[in-house]
Amino acid sequence: MRRRKFIKVSGAAAGGFVLGFPLLKTYAQTGQSDLVLIRNGSPAQMIRKSIELLGGMSRFVNSGQTVVLKPNMSWDYGPEYATNTNPEAAAEVVKLCLEAGAKKVLSFDNSCQEARRCYISSGLEKAMSDAGASVRFIRDKLFEEVEIPGASKLKKWEFYVEALEADVLISMPVLKHHSLSKVSLGLKNMMGLIGGKRGMLHFSFGQKIADINRVLKPQLTIIDAVRILKRNGPSGGNLNDVEQKNTIIAGIDPVLVDAWGVKLFGLEPDKLGWLTHADRAGIGTMNTAENIPLEYSYI
Amino acid sequence: MKKAIRIRQAVQLAALCFFLITVLQANYPFNPWIPPELFLWLDPLTALTTMAAERTWIPWFLLSVIVLVSPIIVGRGFCGWFCPLGTLIDISDRIIAPRKSRSGRRFRHWKTILLVLFIFSSIFSFQIVWLMDPLVLLWRTFGSVIFPLITFLFNGSFDLMLDAGLRSDFLFDFYDTVALKVLPLESTWVNGASIVAAMFVLVLGLSFFSKRFWCRNLCPLGALLGLLSKFSPFQRIVNSDTCNDCGLCNRGCKMGAIEDDFVTTEKSECIFCLNCSKVCKPGATSYKYYSPTSMLSPVDLTRRSFFSSSAAGIVVAGSTNLLHDTESRPDHFIRPPGARKEEAFLDRCIRCNECVRICATTGRCLQPVNFEAGFAAFWTPYADFSVGYCEFNCNLCGEICPTSAIETLPLKWKQVRVMGLAIIDEKSCIPFEKSENCIVCEEHCPTPNKAIVFEKRPGEAKDTGLQNGDEDNVLLLPKVNKRYCIGCGICETKCPVEGVSAIRIVREGEVRKDYRRFNYV
Repeated sequence: MRRRKFIKVSGAAAGGFVLGFPLLKTYAQTGQSDLVLIRNGSPAQMIRKSIELLGGMSRFVNSGQTVVLKPNMSWDYGPEYATNTNPEAAAEVVKLCLEAGAKKVLSFDNSCQEARRCYISSGLEKAMSDAGASVRFIRDKLFEEVEIPGASKLKKWEFYVEALEADVLISMPVLKHHSLSKVSLGLKNMMGLIGGKRGMLHFSFGQKIADINRVLKPQLTIIDAVRILKRNGPSGGNLNDVEQKNTIIAGIDPVLVDAWGVKLFGLEPDKLGWLTHADRAGIGTMNTAENIPLEYSYI
Repeated sequence: MKKAIRIRQAVQLAALCFFLITVLQANYPFNPWIPPELFLWLDPLTALTTMAAERTWIPWFLLSVIVLVSPIIVGRGFCGWFCPLGTLIDISDRIIAPRKSRSGRRFRHWKTILLVLFIFSSIFSFQIVWLMDPLVLLWRTFGSVIFPLITFLFNGSFDLMLDAGLRSDFLFDFYDTVALKVLPLESTWVNGASIVAAMFVLVLGLSFFSKRFWCRNLCPLGALLGLLSKFSPFQRIVNSDTCNDCGLCNRGCKMGAIEDDFVTTEKSECIFCLNCSKVCKPGATSYKYYSPTSMLSPVDLTRRSFFSSSAAGIVVAGSTNLLHDTESRPDHFIRPPGARKEEAFLDRCIRCNECVRICATTGRCLQPVNFEAGFAAFWTPYADFSVGYCEFNCNLCGEICPTSAIETLPLKWKQVRVMGLAIIDEKSCIPFEKSENCIVCEEHCPTPNKAIVFEKRPGEAKDTGLQNGDEDNVLLLPKVNKRYCIGCGICETKCPVEGVSAIRIVREGEVRKDYRRFNYV
């Protein structure tokens, strides 16, 4: 298996290099790329590198702005279970935002288990607070019903006011399996910023995820694939289902970043309805053939 | 002596605060610096009745020896200086008690009658002292009435401020800090809290008749300490040469412990509040160690009332044990994980509601039952999955149980301890009934090997929006895998079906053990 893996990785790297050459050229010209894929570093290292290659955090965050960072913080498990976002990586994003001059960085998630357990067990509350963020609990009072223009299924729904009012929204999902959507990524991550009976969204799921993303538009999506959950998602709870990938994918197009996340998971993006619907809705493009990430590996 | 009274008041307030801290610490990030069970472990009456009813040995109750032997040194000083309920009664005395204290000795043998009843019923294997034990009563009141109320008011005032458009960072930070460390995010209303509250109000309200009415006439722990205080060498001594027979001490005594000659004290009633020395103008009153047999009075209980109360205790215990069928609980009646076998559980559970209180700060499933499970199970905890569920990574109810009615299971053991089994009602379950995918129960199922799995039916689902063609639309029908289901109930809580959930936990297969040899708490 090792040899096969080596050949795969090196093949992918070579292919990526050849295909990515035009992009590299744009990088050389403008000093920034719109989609990056970093491998084999420590979480903090990879986050710093990815933002650097995207042109620095100042591309997204101006001084005095309020940033909302939305990680997966929804389950009562530690980071090793890969069901919540990696705390080191999230803390690094907070630091970068504050370095770029953000007035404050807020973080919250409408969790599936008791919120305090999720915030504490995931390690995210401590890591992000230590880095300078305000990690807040969701209050039901702060959900606001919003009409969704051009929606195909979800004409209106409750959204979290704090997220709607943010100057900058950063989506930071962990790459994990989901029993309905197959993979849970940035577009699905936005479900943590809405209220109401979320179980009812599982009918016509693809269209509804796309509809939510018509309202919540993250300027930056960072996929944490340091560890990924391969089966039994989204809740996980079994270390045998976790695989160490040491990868970060980041970019400005939430659909495209997700499409690359899906590829990393080992599935074809155009087989997944929620991605197709998001593409059709014009939220972004899922065309992975024409949009190759700028790759960087620490090994 | 005024200074000594100030010290007594300070000690009382400190003990009350100490008690409040122990209750407050029964909270999810559970790292207490005083064990929340401390006051219950100090209670010799709970200790004796629980151990007698269950015929076992509970090591932590060794702490109650401190209170049990205290009468030898300080008489009923525990009641006057330490008991947090006594302190609260002192406060209510100041507000509502009549100025002129009536002697009020007519009823004071009641507490001894009650004590005999409780002891005999526990010897005959049904302990009911929790109904009136002051420390248990207080824990129950604070845990299931006062702290939920405080949480409700705190969260409610925060919500009101949000409504008013006050959304400052300071406010959020303050709220989040309190929510993270002290109070739960949501207030859970406890089943039967109104009865608990009414009883507490009644206990304090009895002050309307005379000062410390409860402690004089009803408190069974006071009766126990009173009996032991009869031989106390520490006593109130009046110098009859200097005493001017003014009678102020007799009229002012909140326990009615001073006889009409103003010299003799009923040792089983005196709680050493020291108020009599304050009113004593000639300074004839002092407190000294003296012969234990001086002022020894007979027990305040006729032979007839002893026999009738012990008989009553035996009848109460015998009839509940005979009439109560431990297997007659309703099907949806789930005990907390680690609860002992029903008989042992009922003997040990002192209905202090500690588990209910700590569960309200995490999974929010535990509730005291009223009469649904029979009289003998009154106020014992059960898991109500319509409100909350049992958190997979939580074993705090067992951790906090003072009598180990719920065993302290290590987390790994608790995670495989079966509380019940999930059953799907195909008549109301969304994918079965409407052919629409739902998956909510499966996505929340916490067991490492999922206890809910899907039967996949390609092409049968209505528009999932997940595949490109209708022929791909896979209908996911949830099925319960009996082998892995532990009955934690998160599926029942989260089920989006309106009204009664389409997946419900039943008692089938629940594991109840009773390791008598390992009675750790």
